[in-house]
Amino acid sequence: MGFDLETAIPSENLRRVVIEPLSRVEGHGKVTILLDADDKVHQVRLHIVEFRGFERFIQGRPYWEVPVMVQRLCGICPVSHHLAASKALDLVVGATQLTPTAEKVRRLMHYGQILQSHALHFFHLSSPDLLFGFESEVGKRNIVGVAAAYPDIVKKGVLLRKFGQEIIRITAGKRVHGTGSIPGGVNKSLTREDRDFLLKDAYQMVSWSREAVHIIKQMHQQNPALYDVFGSFRSNMMSMVGTDGELDFYHGALRARDANGKIIFDKADYQSYSQLLSEGVKPWSYMKFPFITALGEENGWYKVGPLARVQNCDHIPTPLADAERNELVAYGKGSQLHATLAYHWARMVEMLFAAETIKDLLHDDDLMGDDLVVAGKHQREGVGVIEAPRGTLIHHYRVGDDDLVTMANLIVSTTHNNQAMNTAVREVAMRYLDGRKLTEGLLNHIEVAIRAFDPCLSCATHALGKMPLEVTLQDADGSVLDHLAIASCDASECPDPP
Amino acid sequence: MSAADNSRSTSFQIDGAEIGFVEGQSILQAALSAGKYIPHLCYHPEFKPNGSCKLCTVKINGRPAAACTVQAEAGLSVESETSEIKDKRRTLLQMLLVEGNHFCPSCEKSGNCMLQALAYDLGVMSSHFPQIFPIRLVDASHPDILLDFNRCILCEICVRASAEADHKNVFALSGRGITKHLIVNSESGRLADTDFSATDKAAQVCPVGVILPKRRGFAVPIGSRRFDLKPISEQIEKGDHSSGLAFGEGSH
Amino acid sequence: MNKKLKVATTSLAGCFGCHMSFLDIDERLFELLELIEIDRSPLTDIKVCGPCDLGIIEGGVCNAENVHVLREFRKNCKILVAIGACAINGGLPAQRNQLDLRDILEEVYHTSIGLAPRSVIPNDPELPLPLNRVHPIHEVVKIDYFLPGCPPSADAIWKFLTDLIAGRTPKLVHGLLHYD
Repeated sequence: MGFDLETAIPSENLRRVVIEPLSRVEGHGKVTILLDADDKVHQVRLHIVEFRGFERFIQGRPYWEVPVMVQRLCGICPVSHHLAASKALDLVVGATQLTPTAEKVRRLMHYGQILQSHALHFFHLSSPDLLFGFESEVGKRNIVGVAAAYPDIVKKGVLLRKFGQEIIRITAGKRVHGTGSIPGGVNKSLTREDRDFLLKDAYQMVSWSREAVHIIKQMHQQNPALYDVFGSFRSNMMSMVGTDGELDFYHGALRARDANGKIIFDKADYQSYSQLLSEGVKPWSYMKFPFITALGEENGWYKVGPLARVQNCDHIPTPLADAERNELVAYGKGSQLHATLAYHWARMVEMLFAAETIKDLLHDDDLMGDDLVVAGKHQREGVGVIEAPRGTLIHHYRVGDDDLVTMANLIVSTTHNNQAMNTAVREVAMRYLDGRKLTEGLLNHIEVAIRAFDPCLSCATHALGKMPLEVTLQDADGSVLDHLAIASCDASECPDPP
Repeated sequence: MSAADNSRSTSFQIDGAEIGFVEGQSILQAALSAGKYIPHLCYHPEFKPNGSCKLCTVKINGRPAAACTVQAEAGLSVESETSEIKDKRRTLLQMLLVEGNHFCPSCEKSGNCMLQALAYDLGVMSSHFPQIFPIRLVDASHPDILLDFNRCILCEICVRASAEADHKNVFALSGRGITKHLIVNSESGRLADTDFSATDKAAQVCPVGVILPKRRGFAVPIGSRRFDLKPISEQIEKGDHSSGLAFGEGSH
Repeated sequence: MNKKLKVATTSLAGCFGCHMSFLDIDERLFELLELIEIDRSPLTDIKVCGPCDLGIIEGGVCNAENVHVLREFRKNCKILVAIGACAINGGLPAQRNQLDLRDILEEVYHTSIGLAPRSVIPNDPELPLPLNRVHPIHEVVKIDYFLPGCPPSADAIWKFLTDLIAGRTPKLVHGLLHYD
């Protein structure tokens, strides 16, 4: 399962259907489906079509530029990259322990980001499918349509997102692409006015987050025929977990469980991530395919993100979210919940956890402290890992004695979910599209599966390059019938773009 | 030599306003001393004028000239804030911005950069010209100072500072036309192989993000940077604009 | 009752930060939706741009597909606005322009740490052909207005849009015009 529909055996004529662009997701991707004359599905692939080159062009830049530059891989979750890079470079500058103020300001920034990103994903991007139905009228299936039908829900979504963005503005300096976190600490803390300004809405945000959990939980409970099976498949799960097994987005150690919930590895120091994880490459996508090295490429792939995190951890350290977590876990009736749509439920539980954590943090006067940065003996290397809204985010840098970056390696949250998303869309294709005349609404089912993972495809495309193009035409035995090679491609040479 | 010690019996006009001057001052110096801002990049109050950036171009009695290179004289009629001159200044800035690699989003000088601040003040909204994306180097050899040549605008303030204030001649311009570039005066070409020090005057004066103290980037938060608070036209830089330094009265 | 303006948006080789900054107008979105309706956009499921009054484009062009989409927008939108550093001067993706593309691909798909054995540089025909260099969009089609920032703040976007919708030339004062 999972690899069955990856490559069609090229025996008969297959018709190609493409979903492009993927809408209501961040970034650029497309899904191609190959069908035969009876509309039977033979191949489904999620292609990530863009490539940036960040890991290469960051080399030769001074290390203190990295947190500010790398966050520009993504406009929804820049804070994740900003902080993961900062954590990696903390080690490079010898800051083994941040000041209390610096750590708490960073935590506030990060939890604010989780709140706004999860709110955006649920209310602005996913709610049209969940509230109107996957095949509903395409002109209305967007936030504008939801605002017309359910204005109260959209208003809360907008204000939840606004609250998270205001936290980021205050801690990072700007709502999108700030500079607040620097190697060794932060460059500002909160004023009393800032703190009071945020605190006055914090309780409301907890209450609205809880409402959001109830909305999605109810959808699950009322429509198990859809929610339990849609795009579902069993897999391993990986996430970072806090020292006492609690859910923690900012710091922890790596834990992976298999599809039955049995531990694969636990309390793994993420500095050694490269010993645990490998990345495969397939020719039809720029995004790589990570897997747990010890289990191999076929069995070692895994899910990350809310559904993995909420189940991987032992408990959530805030009361309302923990109670909701218990209900989610109980819904699985003793088994791991693998339903793709359960991501939405888990995501809202996390949003509640973020809201409660923010409310608690805002009572801590350390946020207003003056001691912002520490430094020690410089090292040449550091790994920073954080739980971004979409999953485990890994940044790894090497820095020379001249302070310039010599190596960068990023494994981005959505990348971990590459195989999982491909498997989900294949499952949906078989269950809903196979043998049927394809409509726009049916094709939207494919996108709904992808959206559940809240992919950040810009993050995933962090490298870009240009390659000589080779096209090979093969018959069913693999013998080469024709071969075309173009040594270099330029826009002026390019035939009419696809 | 303070202004109060000299009689200001003569004046000239900029955009209709009377500007007093001290004998020996350039039009630019007289304007800045009087609180009247004229855009400039390659002028620095402590060093000889360059007249190279042309941002301070004004019309003097109807003819364009660089205000930093023309002596103030009684009775001159100078135009600075006309839409024609502002358009030309914008074009100069656009040319500068495409010539180098001015990537403001991750540049630590952002918010403290005179090139950027001028572009904001003049309302430069577009690139207009095709970006050149030249290959420029970074010299991180020195233990305390980073050189990022991507952002060099050839203002030569560092050249003048190193020569006139530090007496070290660490920097120079080499090449002609579009190949003209800043070089370091050592056999290897690297800054570490000179006697340059972080306490040199030349280490403090770069108006853009070329000469940078290491490991201090982004320590000042957004909102507290120099040009976050007020536009550059409301922040005439400190320094003695009254000195007659411009016209060869001796450097010290 | 005035007819609503049709607005289309897209992100080419951008990070979606400009779209996020647009959403940072928060509750003003409801006010705006009284005046505009949204055609093709990452926020809607309309996949092809129809005739529109205003097209807002984030991101530069980094591959053939970007060029195709950009031309579709130019053909269908009366006014095109380039929003953000990437659209205006190439932005972050253009930081690769000083490098050789084959080098970058080799690095990422052959020599990077942790790669499974037998990794190839992706070359499936489904992947759009990358361009030699990342280009600002005004180098490919005529652009009518530019809104700088990385991203421009919500207040800058709001000022800009309200000026445009009212028929004024958009003007950004100190504090609203930024390149970072």
